[in-house]
Amino acid sequence: MADLDLGVYLEKLALFGRILRQEGLDITPNETADAVRILMELGFDDRTVVKTALRTVYAKSRDEQLRFDRIFDSFFLSEDAIRALDKKHTEQELEHAKAVEQAERELQGEADSLFYNEAQKEAYASLTEEEKQRLQNMKDRFMGPDSRNPELYANMIHSVFARSLMEQQMMLEDAAAAGQMAIDPEVGLLFRDISQFEDSEIPKAVYYIQDIAKRINGELTQKRKRSGRAAALDFRRTIRKGLETGGNFYRLAYRRRRMRKKQIVVLCDVSGSMIQFSEFVLRFIQSLNQASGSSRVFLFSEELREADAFHLQNMDLFRDYVRESGVYGRGTDLGSALNKLNEEKPPVLSPATMLLIVSDAKTVNVPLAVHELLRARSRAGKVFWLNPIPERRWKYLNSSQTMAELCTMISCSTLAELGAACRRLAFS
Amino acid sequence: MDLGTLKRKMDEAHYIYDDTLITVLYVALRLNRPLLIEGAAGVGKTEIAKVMASALGRELVRMQCYEGLDESKSLYEWNYQKQLLSIQVNMGRKDSDELTRSLFGDEYLLERPLLKSIRSPEPVVLLIDEIDKSDEEFEAFLLELLSDMQVSIPEIGTIRATSIPFVVLTSNRARPISDALRRRCAYLYIEYPDAEKELAILRARLPHVDEGLAVQIVSAVQKFRSSEAILKKPSIAETLDWAQALEALGVRELTPEIMRGTVGFVLKNNEDIDMLDEILGTEECSDPDCSGDHENCEHSHEHHHHHHHG
Repeated sequence: MADLDLGVYLEKLALFGRILRQEGLDITPNETADAVRILMELGFDDRTVVKTALRTVYAKSRDEQLRFDRIFDSFFLSEDAIRALDKKHTEQELEHAKAVEQAERELQGEADSLFYNEAQKEAYASLTEEEKQRLQNMKDRFMGPDSRNPELYANMIHSVFARSLMEQQMMLEDAAAAGQMAIDPEVGLLFRDISQFEDSEIPKAVYYIQDIAKRINGELTQKRKRSGRAAALDFRRTIRKGLETGGNFYRLAYRRRRMRKKQIVVLCDVSGSMIQFSEFVLRFIQSLNQASGSSRVFLFSEELREADAFHLQNMDLFRDYVRESGVYGRGTDLGSALNKLNEEKPPVLSPATMLLIVSDAKTVNVPLAVHELLRARSRAGKVFWLNPIPERRWKYLNSSQTMAELCTMISCSTLAELGAACRRLAFS
Repeated sequence: MDLGTLKRKMDEAHYIYDDTLITVLYVALRLNRPLLIEGAAGVGKTEIAKVMASALGRELVRMQCYEGLDESKSLYEWNYQKQLLSIQVNMGRKDSDELTRSLFGDEYLLERPLLKSIRSPEPVVLLIDEIDKSDEEFEAFLLELLSDMQVSIPEIGTIRATSIPFVVLTSNRARPISDALRRRCAYLYIEYPDAEKELAILRARLPHVDEGLAVQIVSAVQKFRSSEAILKKPSIAETLDWAQALEALGVRELTPEIMRGTVGFVLKNNEDIDMLDEILGTEECSDPDCSGDHENCEHSHEHHHHHHHG
């Protein structure tokens, strides 16, 4: 290989290393030196070999491998791919600019077109023709002839427009998030919205839950062991062990510090849209045998009811139980549920308990819910809220936004997030 | 050793590999890096270490990790009984200083796998199996050994490696491995083989198994693995066990009945075995000419035939 070529390649490699670092991979100079060494031996001719070799040196976990592949494929493009991509990109830009221009023209007719910001204009541009036509028709019908007072319907029309645009924006954001999803089938399920699971995928999801819970339990055991070292000396066991070595105390035994299990009170929303998610959360809590000692579970929709431990052991039983209890599938009234929980005698909430609310925060009577949540917060040691709605959408939902300010709200729309949330609960 | 030589040696060991695996092994070997292998249980992680040992013509030193594994089980231990005995025997004879010194010689040192692997005059392959089962303290200790290739024994001093072993670590990801340890290693993730590769493995390992039977076994195992309902996926070793069992029984064709009788070789828990009928029931006919009514379908005829005589 010519020296010139080699220089170019090395420069590229150094740049590649920097990009990997920017993307969050931990790249040390040692590794770059290793990469150079190995590529000098293997040569640069075979793209697959180069990719595998670099991946072996740079990526240190499955997750990093997937990230590495993505970065590598977009960095080391073949010539044809670069040209095709460039052409496609230019075309897309042109099309997009045209659509936005068109949207601007159409929205111009509105009395206060200045109100629409760039994001809303883009959302309008991405609406289907049918949808645009529907909005325009609606406008024409209500504005009517010029003789009508334009002020009369302007507000109503504006709110209809704004609502359509907001829904479209939410859809666009969801689509963008779905595009970033890992394509790996093993990892895929972990990063997908739980509400989008198909029935056939649920056994696998349950398997992942058990797997993640097993891992968290493992980490908890480790934590306990580590902290055990600092505890007091166990004289009895030390002397017994010493007998093995003729009365010499080679190894000292320490008292294991008993870990106090947490008292968790779960308030679980089982209204129609929430049951799948609630079931997953309960499974997690069940599997975390190390963390939750005496947990009590309350189910609510419009009413509140305590779930008994027996039915929680088997999830099929649980589903039937929820259906029969009469709580299932109604609207959500968090305020009155919390009120009942607060009034319960003997009291359920105490400074030693952690209140875990599992709900999408779509409730009637928000002011009452806020009031009761504040009361519950002053009674319980900690209040956590698991929300199955992705955080990026909270800003569109008033109740989520309000509740998030009152307690620690954790977004868990995917199994990965739910696992991370449970880890946080277990270690808090 | 170059890439071609390594491939040839793997061929000689009758190991089925793909280009990715061989490149990763080559990189780890050339850079003298430990190789960390992750993947589901039963994908053949441990096998890689065994094959590398036979391909490189080195001895395999194996250490199985478990909770509570410590230095005395993995590195070295003093032979207390022998030391005590020696004290008793030599009580009046030697001067005490010399006696003390003699108690910490090689004679009383019990070598455990880690020490053995670095003190071996010829380089070995060191397999540290299921590192995720060990404790974090052990991991930290291992880190020191792997980065410096030396260990200190208080009574003797520092022992440097006489030869550098090729280290293979495996993990089922029961707990996350520390970043520090990961950074020392080359990383390989393996998945279950596809049907073609698994068939090749079956042929290479059990060449006498009937070709048609082998194809049926592999397609059944692949179906089990891809089924959402099966929780414990069958491993490659279990596929081989099953094939061997069927061969020993003189089976020439895998009918649903025979499958029901022998499936315990690949499915190891009750719930999974209960799902068998469901999986067999949903099984589509693989004959492309079959239009669904199985009229011209070879498979249904064959099955029928066997039922008749069975």
